[in-house]
Amino acid sequence: MSVLALERVSKRFDETLAVDDLSFSVEPGTVFGFLGGNGAGKTTSLRMVLDIIRPTSGRIEVLGRAPGRANAPEIGFLPEERGLYRQMTALDTITYFGRLKGMAVADARKEGAALLERFGLAANFKSTVDKLSKGMAQKVQLATALVNRPRLLILDEPFAGLDPVNQGLLEEEIRRMSAAGATIVFSTHVMQHAERLCDRLLLLGKGRKKFEGTLEEARGELPARLSVVAKQDPSTLAGVESATDSGAAEDGWRRWDVRLDPGVAPGDVLEQCTAQQFQLRRFEQVQISLHDVFVHIVGTPETAQ
Amino acid sequence: MKNILLVAAREFRQIAGMRSFWLTLLIIPVSIVIGALVPQLVQNDDAARVMVIDRTGGAEARAIAQRFELERDRDLLNDLSRYVQRHHLEKADMQAPWAQHDRWYSDAEVARFVADGGVEAAKAKIARVKPDATPEFEASKPDYEMVPVPASLASAADASLDEALKPVLKPTAKDVKPVDYVILVPADFGASPLVRLWANRQPSPRFMSNVQEVLTRDLRARYLTAQGLSPDAARTAATIAPALAISTPPPGGGAREAMLVRSILPIAAAYLLMMSLMLSGSWMLQGTVEERSNKLLETVLACISPEELMYGKLLGTAGVGLFMIAVWIGCGIFAAYATHGAIADMIRPALDPLTSPGAIVALLYFFVVGYVTIAVLFLAIGAMSESMRDAQGYLMPVILVIILPITILMQAVLGGDGGGVLVEVLTWVPIWTPFAVLARLGLGIPAWEVIATGVILAAFTAAELVLLGRLFRASLLAQGQKPNMREMLSRMRAVQN
Repeated sequence: MSVLALERVSKRFDETLAVDDLSFSVEPGTVFGFLGGNGAGKTTSLRMVLDIIRPTSGRIEVLGRAPGRANAPEIGFLPEERGLYRQMTALDTITYFGRLKGMAVADARKEGAALLERFGLAANFKSTVDKLSKGMAQKVQLATALVNRPRLLILDEPFAGLDPVNQGLLEEEIRRMSAAGATIVFSTHVMQHAERLCDRLLLLGKGRKKFEGTLEEARGELPARLSVVAKQDPSTLAGVESATDSGAAEDGWRRWDVRLDPGVAPGDVLEQCTAQQFQLRRFEQVQISLHDVFVHIVGTPETAQ
Repeated sequence: MKNILLVAAREFRQIAGMRSFWLTLLIIPVSIVIGALVPQLVQNDDAARVMVIDRTGGAEARAIAQRFELERDRDLLNDLSRYVQRHHLEKADMQAPWAQHDRWYSDAEVARFVADGGVEAAKAKIARVKPDATPEFEASKPDYEMVPVPASLASAADASLDEALKPVLKPTAKDVKPVDYVILVPADFGASPLVRLWANRQPSPRFMSNVQEVLTRDLRARYLTAQGLSPDAARTAATIAPALAISTPPPGGGAREAMLVRSILPIAAAYLLMMSLMLSGSWMLQGTVEERSNKLLETVLACISPEELMYGKLLGTAGVGLFMIAVWIGCGIFAAYATHGAIADMIRPALDPLTSPGAIVALLYFFVVGYVTIAVLFLAIGAMSESMRDAQGYLMPVILVIILPITILMQAVLGGDGGGVLVEVLTWVPIWTPFAVLARLGLGIPAWEVIATGVILAAFTAAELVLLGRLFRASLLAQGQKPNMREMLSRMRAVQN
């Protein structure tokens, strides 16, 4: 059974269609990336999942139930715009949110203390938030999302505004939660994080789903590219869309950037080279980045709004 | 419900953690104590020293001295009556004037009191029935002390008195007491009404009225004698005055003073409601604005519904308001005990409205519902504002609309005529209903009016909670410019966002 399922969900704000006929599902234990530029509908979709706003049409199922606060004990949420009660201590803040998620006060304090200790804030249990550095406050905020050991962790642009140390800490926590069996859904427009962490991806543009699948499937959306060192022009080979001379190598050999026709596997071209005694000194498949895939499918993150 | 209580507890703790909360909480008892102590500290307990230079032979000086003596005895009689009433000692002598309370003592009654032996005789009678624990009666100090005229002044010419009195009124030597008032009754007093008065400060109205009355009587007697009346008949004619038999009707009988005393508690409740609302309301507003500006609403709303958040905030703030009132009342009770019941005796008539269970229910109902009615306005303002500066824009008109009519209302009720049309109108407008009904409880408000306004207030508050609840919910995550009236109405119509 899916942990999260959206079926033909749309959300309209006056004249703006923020989410347009969106359907997808997230299986248990998956790290699911929700990718899109600013205004693509990521935050709106996540708010609908959390029942902070309601969809105009369509159906949402979270942990087998309709969205609602009844799910709060099993959900952890880190919003894009973050803040804390400035006059509350770090431990009280985490305990408060733990209690709002249905935890007993003792459990919430114990788990909060353990998280703060793990995040290197053992000395700051009693510090009020306004006395903490920004990086420390970010850790406290993350702890409020994790305190109830959620089955479903929803992170909205979690890396935005984090310093490199906290970015590393967050990646580690995502991996830890995933290893413990939790399902993680996070939205981002920073492709490197998604590339490193996600099992499955959903690309969103102007509120519509543009792609859903694994990273490999995403890369498969773009024609393969090769880096070749040969004496002859590789464009004569079957399945090659284009070959660009990128300069001389040693002893009369030349470097070529090769783009294959869509659907042509690099292995097929290599086999052809061998059969035709097409001389090669180098034959290397170029790894396609998620950024390239995103730009190909949706447009640049900035234009994908 | 659990989430509402959690939010309420957090709100309460947050406000109670503010320094301004404790300052405000203490400022009222402290200012009352200062208010009570300062007059005592600055009050001059010494009797005012009075010198009468009587060029007519001494009769006028004696008359003035006798008058001050009479007023002094009247004061003693009044003090004694209050002491007897406070300690329930009437059985010492049921017929004595000091065993009859809340009345004006005529000159004849004061004379009888003096003839019966005055304070000392009364104390002797009281001592026979007074329990040991009851404190002794202590007579207050007299207001005036007559000072003999020194020979140098008695023989000085009237024209030279201005200069001669300077060292008497304002002596330069530290160990010489100044004379506060010097009265010159010239030799031709009677033929001429002119009397001169020197004072080293603004003469008190009571002093002036006593002197004026004595001299007026004498002036009239002299005039009547000059007209051929015998001196005895003239004196009698000058002192003829109606003998007013004054008694205070029982509470509820329409006497203004009694009604005012009965109004103290309800009016105080209305004032306390207003003050605690304005104070805790502004803290709640700050809290809501902080949640918006610190961007923590989304985290909160992922755990609890906007309604739970709103009710939790209302409950927490109401808790703060009621806590403040409880502390203030506690201070009052402490003061009543600390003063050995003197304050309690004074406010006992004010507690009369609480003798009826209906009045207690009405007092509590209008207080609590009134609190919610106004507090929810603050909450909606907080939800619509990005910053306190934004909030001020909405807050000022709302506060003015609430407070101005209430100020007028209080004046009208204290004016004692029931307030007239204005108070009647304010009673029926829900945002002012709690204040108007509370203020009128002591004066007597028809039961049907209390019930009808109570029902209207409940309906208004329910509608307000629904509409402002929608506005609150829709405004929580809204961004951008402050909403205008059209946008606000549209948010109130939105059932779900």
